[in-house]
Amino acid sequence: MDRKAFLGRVGEYQKDGWRLAIINATSILPTEAMEHGAFDVSWSFAKDGAFEHLREQILPGEEVPSISGLFGAAFLYENEMRELFGVNVTGIALDLKGQLYKTATIVPFAPSAIRARLEAMGKKA
Amino acid sequence: MKRTVVPMGPQHPVLPEPIVLDLVLEDEKVVDAIPTIGYIHRGLEMMVERVEFTEFGYVVERICGICSFMHGMGYAVAMEKIMAVEVPERASWLRLIWAEMSRIHSHLLWLGLGADAFGFENLFMHCWRTREEVLDIFEKTTGGRIIFSVNRIGGVRRDISDSELVAIVEKLQQLGAGFAETARIFETDPSIRHRLGGVGILTREDAHAVDAVGPMARASGIPLDTRLTGTYLYDHLDFEPVLETAGDCLARVVVRVREISQSIDLIRQAVQRMPKGEGAPIETKVRGLPTGETFERLEQPRGEVIYYIKANGTKYLERFRARTPTFANIPAMIKLVKGCDLADVPNIIMTIDPCISCTER
Repeated sequence: MDRKAFLGRVGEYQKDGWRLAIINATSILPTEAMEHGAFDVSWSFAKDGAFEHLREQILPGEEVPSISGLFGAAFLYENEMRELFGVNVTGIALDLKGQLYKTATIVPFAPSAIRARLEAMGKKA
Repeated sequence: MKRTVVPMGPQHPVLPEPIVLDLVLEDEKVVDAIPTIGYIHRGLEMMVERVEFTEFGYVVERICGICSFMHGMGYAVAMEKIMAVEVPERASWLRLIWAEMSRIHSHLLWLGLGADAFGFENLFMHCWRTREEVLDIFEKTTGGRIIFSVNRIGGVRRDISDSELVAIVEKLQQLGAGFAETARIFETDPSIRHRLGGVGILTREDAHAVDAVGPMARASGIPLDTRLTGTYLYDHLDFEPVLETAGDCLARVVVRVREISQSIDLIRQAVQRMPKGEGAPIETKVRGLPTGETFERLEQPRGEVIYYIKANGTKYLERFRARTPTFANIPAMIKLVKGCDLADVPNIIMTIDPCISCTER
């Protein structure tokens, strides 16, 4: 992702008085074209009745800048996204260092983890 | 000054559910608070891999025992959007009525817990006694008091007769009249004002900066309410969000107290305006498999909830996500705790109306 352009667009939302409504990640399972899968990450902003999204496809290990410097509440979504999906978010204002959740499965929504579960259940991954 | 770390939780007399705040203290002042959740993280979102989308509504309802109706409704509405299902109008009105009843019983539950937390046990008992009457109506109309299973993709499972709707409105108006004295005590009692007034102030600017939602935002003067977006028939009703401007613990109590009367009035309006006619369709048959994605927003008792659903044309959803209002209000809670006295921390935490089951899913 283009880090500078991304932060610039988030900064515009912040300046225009939008609020951060949700940051959401969805795993994209590995394919021949994407051996390790990817993440579809969206940052959603709300203002009055409007609801808009910024979306990026992130590869495993790819660095995603935290927006917690612009939207204070982002730290919670970002810690969650890192713990549950393994998205490499860097520079989180309040970095909980993997202590937000206590999950039995490490990074349960990583593409490889999902594929392994689906295969174990006999479903097409 | 020497700093001391005092862990608050996961078990604490004012916490109905487990959460930990590591409170960093300088003498009696809190200078930092670090949250840890996850004690009741059930991984419900992962169950989309194993539970078919037609059954997953039952799982979503079980995210939380207080918000269960609205979780079920949010899931159904989101799936209806993805599958382009038109819901019969009567079903939408019935959902609105049950949703507002959910707000009433949730606020009563919280007011009771709040009263217990600040040491007014009598008030706790009055609130919970009143709440039981709302649960009685739920039981009569849905068959359940906690889990209702009345929503399904395409509509609702049960109708309420026109005469029964009129009786429900009368019952709720009596309940509201009876609750008026309890409401007066919440708003005017000197000991409550002394305990909560001026404590845990979230200014309008701070509420916006930490993206607070629901009564947390409205108690700080921000008219943020998903019902204002005109969805779910609220645009057919006279509705203005309840606002307070002090932003303190007392303002958050007062907003919820007044929202109880407002919800009773919204139900009255809904019964007046919904088309009469038992036997009218309450469900549209849904066929096929869902493909596509959507974000859906609802105003739960604690504030805006957002559901994200992605479907891939199979029986199993690819992704289900619920961003609950408590999750959105945790940054506000941390903001409030910093700088307060240690003795005020329990009341400040309580006044965000934390629902940890919802938060952790």
